[in-house]
Amino acid sequence: MIKKNTVGSGLLLLLIAGVVGYGIGFGLDALVSGNTPRLAASVPSAFALLFAVSAFFFGLYGYRGITRGLTWQVVGTLAGALLVTGLRLLMGLKGNDILEAKFFFSEPAWVFGGLVGVISFLAGVGVMDDWTKWALGIDTPDHHEDAPGWEKYFGVSVDHKVIGIQYTITALVLISVGGLFALIFRTELAQSGLQFLSPDPTKFNVFNQSGPQMYNSLMSLHGMIMIVSILLGISGIINYVVPLLVGAHDMAFPRMNAFAFWVAVPAAVLLLMSMVLGGFDTGWTGYPPLSARAPVGVQFFFLGVFTAGWSSILGSLNVIATVLRMRAKGMTAMRMPIFVWAAIATSIIALTATQLIGLSFQLVMFQRLLGMGFFDPLKGGNPVLFQHLFWFYSHPAVYVFVLPGLGVISELLPVFVRKPLFGYRWIAMSSLGIALVGFVVWAHHMFASGMNEYLRVPFMYSTMLVAVPTGVKFFSWVATIWGGKIETPTPMLFVLGGIIVFLIGGISGPPNAMVALDLHLTDTYWVVGHFHDTIFGGFVFPFFAAIYYWFPKATGRRMNEFWGKIHFWLMTPSFFTLTFGMMYVGLRGMRRRIADYDPALGIDTAHLVMTISAFLIALSVLIFFINFIRSIKHGEEAKGNVWNSRSPEWQVPSPMPAHNYEVPFEVVGEPYDYGLADSKYVEFSAASGKKH
Amino acid sequence: MTQHNHDNSSMLSQGIYIFVYLAVLTALEFGIAISFDATILLVVIALVKAVLVVYYYMHIYQLNAEHEGDEDSYEYKSGTNRIGLWLFLISDTFVFGGLMAMRLNLLGLSHPNLNQFLGLIVTTVLLVSSFFMNRGEALMHAGDRKGFITNTIVTFVLGLGFLIGVVFVEWPNAMREGITPSSGVAGAAFYMMTGMHAFHVLTGLIFLLVVLRNARRGLYDEKQYPVEAVAVYWHFVDVVWIFFYPALYLIGSIAK
Repeated sequence: MIKKNTVGSGLLLLLIAGVVGYGIGFGLDALVSGNTPRLAASVPSAFALLFAVSAFFFGLYGYRGITRGLTWQVVGTLAGALLVTGLRLLMGLKGNDILEAKFFFSEPAWVFGGLVGVISFLAGVGVMDDWTKWALGIDTPDHHEDAPGWEKYFGVSVDHKVIGIQYTITALVLISVGGLFALIFRTELAQSGLQFLSPDPTKFNVFNQSGPQMYNSLMSLHGMIMIVSILLGISGIINYVVPLLVGAHDMAFPRMNAFAFWVAVPAAVLLLMSMVLGGFDTGWTGYPPLSARAPVGVQFFFLGVFTAGWSSILGSLNVIATVLRMRAKGMTAMRMPIFVWAAIATSIIALTATQLIGLSFQLVMFQRLLGMGFFDPLKGGNPVLFQHLFWFYSHPAVYVFVLPGLGVISELLPVFVRKPLFGYRWIAMSSLGIALVGFVVWAHHMFASGMNEYLRVPFMYSTMLVAVPTGVKFFSWVATIWGGKIETPTPMLFVLGGIIVFLIGGISGPPNAMVALDLHLTDTYWVVGHFHDTIFGGFVFPFFAAIYYWFPKATGRRMNEFWGKIHFWLMTPSFFTLTFGMMYVGLRGMRRRIADYDPALGIDTAHLVMTISAFLIALSVLIFFINFIRSIKHGEEAKGNVWNSRSPEWQVPSPMPAHNYEVPFEVVGEPYDYGLADSKYVEFSAASGKKH
Repeated sequence: MTQHNHDNSSMLSQGIYIFVYLAVLTALEFGIAISFDATILLVVIALVKAVLVVYYYMHIYQLNAEHEGDEDSYEYKSGTNRIGLWLFLISDTFVFGGLMAMRLNLLGLSHPNLNQFLGLIVTTVLLVSSFFMNRGEALMHAGDRKGFITNTIVTFVLGLGFLIGVVFVEWPNAMREGITPSSGVAGAAFYMMTGMHAFHVLTGLIFLLVVLRNARRGLYDEKQYPVEAVAVYWHFVDVVWIFFYPALYLIGSIAK
């Protein structure tokens, strides 16, 4: 367990390094820019941030693993940026004086530095060590044994369970960061007019941004940080659970699995750096031409998303290969746990479509760096092209977010109603159906964009078509619950909450899909309300359900039921108030992404209520965090089959041993035949060793 | 490992036949493009070429191969690795597909005014390199390490020639003609597409070097999957060029 003195020394070093870093940055900023030094200027803040975080991990963990990675990232970023700066000097290129005075380096230098920083992080953290050895012809052992205790979570481990937990914790950290950003701008929205995010630079100037600029940066980053956090969250569940469900000893490519996690860490650093480097005011979509003119922060945003995309792509590649090749004996396609189907469906999208957001952002990066005119009408480019490329990923991406969540709902429901899952095949196929239909609906985001008009109606119909496989899922859930012996421990509460919230998200969807209505609803808060309902119902509720459900498997202890229920009963009504409020103000004329609104709209009270609800949600999540951390050490012991599940991972004691099942199992029945006498899903015997 | 392992001479001669087909199709493609406007025909030829490479050089059917032995055997793991590699190639295809969509949206049925002679030369060089890669792989599977090394060195040299031809000959040449990254969408599409492809060629060359070095030390005499992987990746880079070459040099009229 983490000793108090290591945490203490970490925090102490965090403070010292923060001050030292700030001093260095402050001096450099004053020296280079020649401006009157400002306390909240970008460069000192950036240095303080990087130094402080690295120092914290140094105190906690020593100079290895994540500490070494972060240090190398800082050094790599500076080295890359200095190299480009030097080359530019030699070539006699003149930089943008204003930009460099504000942000120390020119834009190409920052971009190249950021890229070198990511690669340096990966080299520093040591996730490519084995591959380097293989390239040099040195053999490495197939498995690396992790030391027991907490330290393995801060360095490279190839155990899928460790990586799953690393993903989940990182996702939770990012959820808090993104949520914090939301709270800040939600507070500003509580009342019409601009209160603390003041447009006057003498009153508000943080990271070289005035109040409304800061609002834009916070709003944009809230979007993208939450998206990355969701991607990491689903990877967390999938990584931890899928190999256990299919009876594999690990993922198909354990080293790539580690790589996929660790590449997300420098990506998160880049995203946060974008805030310091002037932020960006484009929203999470980064549409040109606005993103072609935004401050240099937008480049870090692009680079961060591009890097995080690799985590998603390689992770999903691994999932597909694992499920194709490493299933237990007797586990035919129609006897796989239903969550595995969801993982496959989500991975198909993430594997392929993610490349398109990476490409669209790369094209804007190059447009900014080299003047390539992809989206510049003056050079014959087409801004609408960006939207097509962008939404080709970013619409299916919402199915990447919700499919695993819906899989968790289908997986957990039968356990808590003690009844077979209704229509297994239909649910399995509906996941694939959503994934495939999801590829042909993207342009419904663009009804108002000025794209070719003949595209509108086909995309309207294809969008409505998504409701069919989704409806299949709802039908099956209701039929599963019908007549069951319902138990409501915390995970089940979140499952039921997820179903209801997702239902509301689903019902508020078709109005947006209708071209005639969408032209009025587009870019209003109605859409924001709809989106938050789908993502809370499809991801956040099931994610919490999964954490409460599989927590005993990972730790051998249960999370506190009482506080779990408080979490649920506080979060759910607050969340409904918030999103119904969003839809209400949207219909009353509130625009999305705008820091202020007209008091004449009469929505001040609604906004105040929404802000209070947002803080209540934050409080409930805080309760969750405290419960989570406390339960790791002090939770009630739960080493057996806590939920009385048929699933293979619960048939062995918790926590799971390092190489999973010591005795392999064979699938001998249907996975969800709860309540049927004498039926078994799996049978453990040494003889069921896998032969192919 | 595979069925034609046993029949080495037929695999070598098959490689030659396929290469002849590909060469004839490329010549046909070029001939059609400079004589008349037949985009659909060019698309069909590119598809046929791609299918030939994917089937006969990349051996996509091996994905279906059954493997004896348990999950820890090298054979079985190679099968898993093969699936992983192909999944990666599918993913990568979406990058190039996106670039192609960008090019079609921005340029439609027109192409930048490039040096046709140079284009044909680099295309030929890459195609010939694919032939030698295939030959090297076939020899390696037959146990002829020396033959593999010789052919892979030829592949490497040709690949390097392609890279130099595009980046250090074709690019400066186009720039002299006034096609620069910032001159307009034709230039932007040209540099982005060839640049992304050249990046893949560069990584392929690095993989070739790694495999060459380890093959010389006898690391792949038994465990041959890395040889197959580098060959498949190299052919994939060739398949991309099979589509990019007509898209950038041949189809439609010359863009302003």
